Amino acid sequence: MSSPKAPSLEEFRAHAALTGLPLTPEDIEHLHKGYVGLLELMQRIPTHWAWAAEPPQVFRADE
Amino acid sequence: MTDLTLLGIAEAGRLLARGDITATALTESFLKRIDAVDHKIASYITVTADLARSAARQADMELKGGLRRGPMHGIPVALKDIYETAGVRTTGHSALRKDYVPTIDAETVRRLKDAGAVILGKLGTHEFANGAMTPDQPFPAVLNPWNTKYQPGGSSSGSGAAVAAQLCMGAMGSDTGGSIRNPAGFCGTAGIKPTYGLVSRCGIFPLSFSLDTAGPLAWTMEDCALMLDVLAGHDPNDQGSAKAAKVDYGAACHRPIKGMRIALARHWYEGKDQVTPDMKKGIDEAVRVLRDLGATVDEVTFPDIRDYHICGRTIITVEAHAIHRQEVIETPEKFGYTTRRRFQLGAFLTAEQYISALRFRRQLTLDTRAAMRGYDLVMCANHWGAPDKFEEPQPIFHFFGKPSLTMPFNVTGQPAATICCGFGSDGFPLSFQLAGRAFDEASVFAAGAAYERATSWRSHRPKL
Repeated sequence: MSSPKAPSLEEFRAHAALTGLPLTPEDIEHLHKGYVGLLELMQRIPTHWAWAAEPPQVFRADE
Repeated sequence: MTDLTLLGIAEAGRLLARGDITATALTESFLKRIDAVDHKIASYITVTADLARSAARQADMELKGGLRRGPMHGIPVALKDIYETAGVRTTGHSALRKDYVPTIDAETVRRLKDAGAVILGKLGTHEFANGAMTPDQPFPAVLNPWNTKYQPGGSSSGSGAAVAAQLCMGAMGSDTGGSIRNPAGFCGTAGIKPTYGLVSRCGIFPLSFSLDTAGPLAWTMEDCALMLDVLAGHDPNDQGSAKAAKVDYGAACHRPIKGMRIALARHWYEGKDQVTPDMKKGIDEAVRVLRDLGATVDEVTFPDIRDYHICGRTIITVEAHAIHRQEVIETPEKFGYTTRRRFQLGAFLTAEQYISALRFRRQLTLDTRAAMRGYDLVMCANHWGAPDKFEEPQPIFHFFGKPSLTMPFNVTGQPAATICCGFGSDGFPLSFQLAGRAFDEASVFAAGAAYERATSWRSHRPKL
């Protein structure tokens, strides 16, 4: 998997229509900025993992 | 007579046990001060004066009759308003719950009451422990008692402000990305985020299932320890609750720290992003004090602070959306404008991105554990510098800007405490964090309490 490309506002609006959320134009603008910013920061998260790299089902610090 | 609101929990507990003061007198002192001062900082949403008086009378009767339940017996405390309280409204600082009255207490509240604590009321919070405090919410924003033009930090804002302003002896907060340690740092109190799973979250409004923790804020580390003694323990009704051995945290505060090994994560706060010069000086001086007390402090390299930051933020964004999805669909207008967007954003992330963040968390936990090998504690800055001013509109998303210094220990689940280490030239408190291995809160308390005893910062209170 590669990191998703940052969407334009128009592309994001189309995505927003599929989320099931009632969003105002102002919501969409804010969310677009937030999403693009988050995606940029998320580049630090590796996207390639061993297929068996299973996250803990319930996070337990005492494991 | 001494102002009773200046007493610490440990000292007040001893005076109560000896019969030198009564729980009623103590409670009345706090109620009087709340009445006189709280309008300046708006830390309380609900004051339960009658219930507090009744609990104090009960405590006095029991203490007089020779029944002492422990160090919290007769001690006035308050609760972040996401803790469910039987018969007392629990609002989450939100229009969505402004009239919600639970029928049972959160497990932590039950434990505090069983220990004889007196509940003074419910404290302001960022909405559902996430959104900023904005004018479109039904309760006023909590202000910083050191300077009311500034924010107190969040999300346990009322908890930090009320403890610092002598409006309760201890307060419950919650910490998912730093929500106990941020207000503790900005308000100059002590506070501890316990190990994930040590304290029950049952009956506390959730934000992010796999990161949420509940814990105390108080004026000193010893006072936090006495509260945690009551709070810690397995709860079968909390899916994340661990079965951990019982530890006497109050006693741990008096352990010597000679020979303790502390890993200083200096590169987190003096790397690409820098703390203020005052903060750097305060932490350097704290390192010197800990060395003088016999601890070894070495600089150690940990994973990049930005890795923890984005890992935690991604998990919170997705889990918070899952929790609040129905209400952001049905009644979005009832959320504050920052809260609503923060809860909506998770709808745009994919399952694959969420799972990658969970896998990343596991990797960061293992890498942190490896970096800590041979060390008892990690030490680092608690926050970057002065709190933000109250300005409208407020930033919608809080993952921009400098990375969170508190997030690493939410991601790894380790216990982490905030300890005040002085005051900047602007008058705001400075503070550092001490984090222990999972379930080793005792070492955190030992070092934090030893530091507090060796310095004079606990004698300095805000003037209101």
